[in-house]
Amino acid sequence: MCVNDFKYDILNELFNVGVGKAASLLSEIISKTILLNIPQIKILNRKDHELNLEDYLPKVLDGTLMVSSISFKERLTGKANLIFPAKEMRTFINLCLNKTDDNISDDMNFTDIDFDVIKEIGNIILNCILGEIGNHLDMKLDYTLPEVQVFDRIDFDKDIKRDECKSIIILYITFVIDGTEIRGAVLVDLTLNSLNELMKNLNLIEDEFNG
Amino acid sequence: MKEKANNMIKILIVDDSLFSQKTTAGFLKKYLKDADISFANDGQAGFLKYQEMKPNYVFVDLLMPKINGKELILLIKEQDSNAKIFVVSADVQKNVKDEIESYHIMSFVNKPFSDEKAQSICQMIKDDQNVCK
Repeated sequence: MCVNDFKYDILNELFNVGVGKAASLLSEIISKTILLNIPQIKILNRKDHELNLEDYLPKVLDGTLMVSSISFKERLTGKANLIFPAKEMRTFINLCLNKTDDNISDDMNFTDIDFDVIKEIGNIILNCILGEIGNHLDMKLDYTLPEVQVFDRIDFDKDIKRDECKSIIILYITFVIDGTEIRGAVLVDLTLNSLNELMKNLNLIEDEFNG
Repeated sequence: MKEKANNMIKILIVDDSLFSQKTTAGFLKKYLKDADISFANDGQAGFLKYQEMKPNYVFVDLLMPKINGKELILLIKEQDSNAKIFVVSADVQKNVKDEIESYHIMSFVNKPFSDEKAQSICQMIKDDQNVCK
């Protein structure tokens, strides 16, 4: 599917607003200022498994990854994944739980409470991003329960390839908390019909602008 | 078990996230000193707990296993149309908020539950308590 620059710009801006809201909510949770780099999106189409996701995921997403996911259906069908390196999520979890002990900052053994925190944070971020798109394009989404999984990079690539969805929107995001940069990505897997539906709605916005 | 004082405000928080349960309860306790707070981890447990304790106020998340928040609200309202329900959800969709508000809830609040939101909700509860006296 060919997506022109203007449609990319609209979609980028909608995601931008969602991520901005998510950052503001996260900042409320940890009572710290969160600086946000402007997110950039890419739309990828999978044809016969030719797509090599590795070429598109940021290099920092290596080693152990924490992936928080939520599936959705109705006007759009797919799955959104929030992906961050587990080491950086540890810092974030500690901030959420007000843990300041230096000894636990590198602890990669995640407890049920840690998973619960990430599940809830992922739920808030992904709801903000997807909800904003739904609100602007007037498309209702029905969500499933959020999930959290820890993958190594290779297993994650395999998991994404197994999915039946044919299009992926990648959103690169970077938060800066207390001078520490946390780089991650949001992967929105969409069925081809859903991507078409999304583009139809973007066309309407584009037409309004062009008169 | 210790007898709870009669003037305690009974609150039930139904949320599948322990993190959110604790956050919500912590803020409510700050502004409602006489709150007696109980918890349930999903909609089904929430409905059973509701029937058992008959809380004055229920805080409900929307995305939950077994019975979701919307179904729970409808079940509670079917049993007690005057039940006082607050929804605390991460869902920011306008049409979801409009639909849930049509079930005559007290208020729809977006997560995270914050100090500011707690102040406003607790004021609503205090005002409501004064009206009920």
